[in-house]
Amino acid sequence: MLTYIARRVLYSIPVLLLSSFLSFLFVSYAGNPIALLRQNPRVSHQTLINLTHQMHLDKPVIVRYFYWLHDVFADKLGNSLITLQPIWPQITRTMSHTAQVIIISEGLAIMLGIAVGIYSAIRQYSIFDYMFTSISFFGFALPTFWLALLLQIAFTDIFLHWNVRIFYTSGLNSNPGGSAWSIDRLQHIALPVMTLLIISFALYSRYMRASMLDVINSDYVRTARAKGVPEWKVIMRHVFRNALIPITTVTALNIGGLLGGAIVTETVFSLDGIGFWFVQALNAKDLYEVMAYLVVTSVIIVLFNLIADVTYGFLDPRIRYD
Amino acid sequence: MPDPVLSIRDLVVEFKTEDGIVHAVDGVSYDLFPGETLGIVGESGSGKSVSTLALLGLIPQPPGRIVSGTADFKGRDLLKLKKKELRRVRGNEVAMVFQDPMTSLNPVLTVGNQLGESIRTHFPDEKKEVVKERVIDLLKLVGVPNAETRYAQYPHEFSGGMRQRAMIAMSITNSPALLIADEPTTALDVTIQAQVLEVLRRVQAETHAATILITHDLGIVAEMCDRVLVMYAGHIVESGDVETIFRAPRHPYTIGLMDSLPKVTEDEEWLRPITGSPPSLIDLPPGCPFHPRCFLARERCRQENPPLAPVEGSAHQSACHFSDELIGHKSKFSQEAVA
Repeated sequence: MLTYIARRVLYSIPVLLLSSFLSFLFVSYAGNPIALLRQNPRVSHQTLINLTHQMHLDKPVIVRYFYWLHDVFADKLGNSLITLQPIWPQITRTMSHTAQVIIISEGLAIMLGIAVGIYSAIRQYSIFDYMFTSISFFGFALPTFWLALLLQIAFTDIFLHWNVRIFYTSGLNSNPGGSAWSIDRLQHIALPVMTLLIISFALYSRYMRASMLDVINSDYVRTARAKGVPEWKVIMRHVFRNALIPITTVTALNIGGLLGGAIVTETVFSLDGIGFWFVQALNAKDLYEVMAYLVVTSVIIVLFNLIADVTYGFLDPRIRYD
Repeated sequence: MPDPVLSIRDLVVEFKTEDGIVHAVDGVSYDLFPGETLGIVGESGSGKSVSTLALLGLIPQPPGRIVSGTADFKGRDLLKLKKKELRRVRGNEVAMVFQDPMTSLNPVLTVGNQLGESIRTHFPDEKKEVVKERVIDLLKLVGVPNAETRYAQYPHEFSGGMRQRAMIAMSITNSPALLIADEPTTALDVTIQAQVLEVLRRVQAETHAATILITHDLGIVAEMCDRVLVMYAGHIVESGDVETIFRAPRHPYTIGLMDSLPKVTEDEEWLRPITGSPPSLIDLPPGCPFHPRCFLARERCRQENPPLAPVEGSAHQSACHFSDELIGHKSKFSQEAVA
């Protein structure tokens, strides 16, 4: 198992290098970070030339890529090309906020999704099943931005009409630098959490139901019943264990994807997470910040793919990594 | 005659489908006596598996439904038992071996664990070591080599034949009075089939369990069974002891089944299949369900479904209006039996 993990990590190095090079290529052609300065009449021509040189913008893309690569390793992803601030502290700050939202919403979504999926499957075609199948169908079909806006409008209206503050509709804390684990913070992140919860819950409950139904009529479940094993034990020991295998992959990949920033949700709620930060960097055409984001998310996605595979091997003895 | 272990009367099982009601088992009655092996033969869809799965409440309900019937097992009607009571019977007094050993064991639990579960379910207070010891003994009994190592292995580390041995071991953990083997060798290679049948025979000698052997292989019936039921379209069409039926079959369908088998002793160019195909169980033909394919069929067969009636003595029964015309009919096996 350890050799397998080591090998996978080694394999991911060329993948990350190639993907970062391609991103660099595309992003560097997408916009010039000093274009805005050029419109400013108070910036002299010489300054522009100096800046261009300083940022290696006068070099070919390949060379610039290696300058950037040097910064990534020597200088923790380098400094912003616009604000000249170091990037790493911004990544850790925004990532901690994103992670907080994702962990809470995904934790709840997994528990609820699996529970509802199991119950829907063992009571297939019951009212409960129809109700939750419809709910997850809607959750599946809802565009994130629309759901997020809807929640935002609803809670804004509640505040305006009755002057009751249940949840805040943007930001992280009422006062800058507020505590990360406080009622105030929870009131702020509740809506983004709810948005992601509804959408992920729809995904997990649907998958869990389908995968339970796949297993529930299999021959070995019939064998277990023929042995006289009580039904709840049949479900937990024989059906659930096997149904969990496909859901692991879906969950790990979904969480990996979301940690890369729930861009839409964070933007709607002006949440200082990595996705929102990325959108701002993109608008500013800050090559180094955009690249930093892309590298971090690639690493996360590669990592969660690995986690998915390792968990898979842990749950299914037929899969051996050696 | 001793009292039967299992006595089934007028069992009717239906499945509701989108196309209509499938009459899978349509009025089946039979007895099973202690220590005997009863073969049930028939084509796919003749109701041979469903008639036994229904006894243990193992058909999915819905869409399945046991419409009527009784199944008297040791003084209790299995079809009227509460779920909890039936569960105590399953895997304890009545055990099953299924057709496909590749899919009948849970891939994520060790074989030892799954065999042990059979004991732990019915004897929850049994000590862990005792359960393990018993499971290893059982694996040895069914001829699994290196039983101690095999105990901790997963099903995918077993070959098909070994898995079926493990399944048989699982079925006899609690010394059942009745063992139902549903096509236990169908999914196996021919060489492995012989070994598994041998195991089944050994296990039977050990436990003295009355056995129902469901198969479509007449060779297996000839080798393993004392009595045989021939099923067609949810009905029993002929029953009797194996020797009688093989020597002097009295139902056209049984004759057709035997004639469609190849024989090594004869140089045959063509096999003789039964003409036509099995009827739709949703829309059975009126009268005798076999009449569209029968070489004896005439007007009466189209109108009247013949009951299962004794022919020469009570042991041999046939459901054919014209079974008397088959007296003296030589089946392929009859020459063999004489020789």
